[in-house]
Amino acid sequence: MSVILDAGKIVLRNDCPIEDAEPLLVFLQNNPDCPIDIEGATNLHAAVLQVLMAFKRDLFGRSRDSFLQEWVVPVIAGHAVSLT
Amino acid sequence: MDELVEQFLIEGRELVQQASDDLLALEGNPADAGRIDSAFRAVHTLKGSVGFFDFAPMADLLHRAEDLLGAIRDGRQPVTKVIIGALLDCIGASDDWIDSIERTGALPADAAIVARGLGAAMAPYLRSTAPVGVTASEADLEWLSGLVTRNRDAVDTAGAGRTITAIRYTPSPDCFFLGDDPMALVRSIPDLIALEITAREAWSTEKFDPFVCNLVFQMLTAVDADAARAVFRFVPDQAIIVETQPNPAAPQTDLRTAVAEGGRDGAVRTLRVDATRIDALADIIGELIVAKNGLAHLADKASAVDAKLARELNASQANIDRLAGDMHRAVMTMRMIPLSRTFQRFPRLVRDIAGRLGKSITFHVSGEEVEADKSIVDGIFEPLLHVLRNAVDHGIEDAETRIAKQKPTEGLIQLEAKRTNDQIVISVTDDGAGIDLGMIRRLAKDRNVLDAAAVDTLDDSAALDLIFAPGFSTASEVTDVSGRGVGMDAVRSAIDGLGGRVVVTSARGAGTTIQLSLPQALVINTIMTVRVGDEHFGVPIESVQETLRIAADRIVRIREGEAFVVRNRTVPLLRLTDLLGLPGATRPDDIRVLIASSGDERIGIEVDGFAERFDAVLRPMQGLLSGMPGILGTALLGDGQVLMVLDLPGLIG
Repeated sequence: MSVILDAGKIVLRNDCPIEDAEPLLVFLQNNPDCPIDIEGATNLHAAVLQVLMAFKRDLFGRSRDSFLQEWVVPVIAGHAVSLT
Repeated sequence: MDELVEQFLIEGRELVQQASDDLLALEGNPADAGRIDSAFRAVHTLKGSVGFFDFAPMADLLHRAEDLLGAIRDGRQPVTKVIIGALLDCIGASDDWIDSIERTGALPADAAIVARGLGAAMAPYLRSTAPVGVTASEADLEWLSGLVTRNRDAVDTAGAGRTITAIRYTPSPDCFFLGDDPMALVRSIPDLIALEITAREAWSTEKFDPFVCNLVFQMLTAVDADAARAVFRFVPDQAIIVETQPNPAAPQTDLRTAVAEGGRDGAVRTLRVDATRIDALADIIGELIVAKNGLAHLADKASAVDAKLARELNASQANIDRLAGDMHRAVMTMRMIPLSRTFQRFPRLVRDIAGRLGKSITFHVSGEEVEADKSIVDGIFEPLLHVLRNAVDHGIEDAETRIAKQKPTEGLIQLEAKRTNDQIVISVTDDGAGIDLGMIRRLAKDRNVLDAAAVDTLDDSAALDLIFAPGFSTASEVTDVSGRGVGMDAVRSAIDGLGGRVVVTSARGAGTTIQLSLPQALVINTIMTVRVGDEHFGVPIESVQETLRIAADRIVRIREGEAFVVRNRTVPLLRLTDLLGLPGATRPDDIRVLIASSGDERIGIEVDGFAERFDAVLRPMQGLLSGMPGILGTALLGDGQVLMVLDLPGLIG
């Protein structure tokens, strides 16, 4: 699984396939203020993307993937993009 | 079969139908922009669904047809008879291929060759596709101007004067179930200048379903429309692709292509249900009706014990009886579909047949809104096609003959349906040569359909009826169109099988009418077969209360008659041979009896044996036999034999 709950953050890593959408949704619903670490994410399936868009949490880190960083991060970031 | 293929077969047929309707209408009125749009959308969507499968020749051919329709729509190509013909050929081939996919799961072996030939026929009209200004509707462009304005800087950076293609991609909500990842698709677009990801509908975090795709992607890319279309080739109906050049500031004036989103119109509120499910429901209701009959019996028994309880049971039984009846009718209505389902296939087929025979024909259809049971609507296709084929081939004369007879050169064939009481009457009328009775009589003799003396005694209408006799075909030469070894006898037996009748009337020189009368709904009866001697008869299962075996010595003679005792009741016994006036045989030691009810009485009927039960459409007797007492009608057995079905209460008298 490429989505885990780690030390108060939801951490996305590597290629996040459609199977990650459901656990991610559960994490977000159960942890209302929990920020998301996308530093290790290299790809998001559209299903994962729309979960992130719907919940808009604060983000940690810059994605290593330039496509994600350039086009996707702006639409999933909450109030601020916090840098580590 | 794969669910996706099944869906494709259903939709594919509808789209083929839509396209062919539109094209035929365009042939009559080339200026009908609505029809052009509709044909384009149908072909476009069909091409899109073909893209899901490995049917490359079909996809290629439809792609060309779509291009040609696009050229017509954009005013780059006028509508001509030749072009409509070429397009109809493509649609016809697609129709055949869909049949082949249903049968074998694949295109026929010659599909690639056929597609190449048909594609070549369209090629000359596809070359002159010089771009002209296209005005798409305002609504189509609202997103576009917004997208370009918001991303003006990025566009400028990419280089002014370059080709910019704008894409609005709305993945279908169920795309995840089809294995699509819209993100992967968007990522594969080369030279991305701008990407905006938004929600199709506002997000709801409470009732969020991550597996319903709610995304809209709007993009600008520096590649041309063809390259962008290549990326979306499997979901062409989900992407609007607009190429703007060279000045992106005013995209409206420079549109070269605007691919409209397909399949959004036609908001008919219907639910598609598999016919077998409706049939299953009908079966359950049939059983419910039988179970309900048990209640009446129960009420009878109760009346001996408690009159009040019996009355209440009776009232309740009447209620359930009414509801079960309503339910039965409701299910039967569900199976009712308009004749248009079958009729709409004919204009193209008639045109096709006429084209092959070099005849020019006007074909009128009316009454297609009349409804009938699905099995009737489906069942009349083959026989009607045969009748129409005959009308074109043998009915309508060739052009020279028609001119010589001072008839319009175009032949007229009318297909008409009407409802009269419980029947639907479908007629095919042509204004052709009519049927030559002399020739009918001669052919009937030559082909030994009847012996010569019998033929001579027939009156005209009976002689005309000979065309339905097995082994009779009026075609003196076998043609490509009609000469397929089936004659009008096949039409008659098909219509008989549906519980209908077919008659022919004809006036020499003025034309022929073939009239089919059919029940609106099939009435299926369960029939039990009984044997007396070597003969078999049918008995509707409702009229049989029970079947018994009793020893011959239990039968007692009471004056002229016979009776036996079953469950403390004396039941009179009649022999079926006596009722039917058949010779009786000696009685075995162990006799078989069926108990029928006549009014309140129970009567035993002695038979020689019971055979299988089956479901059949009961056909009432025709002509002289129609009033015969004791006979309900006939039922066609699976092997083509006809079984006489007895009316037991009528026989008992």
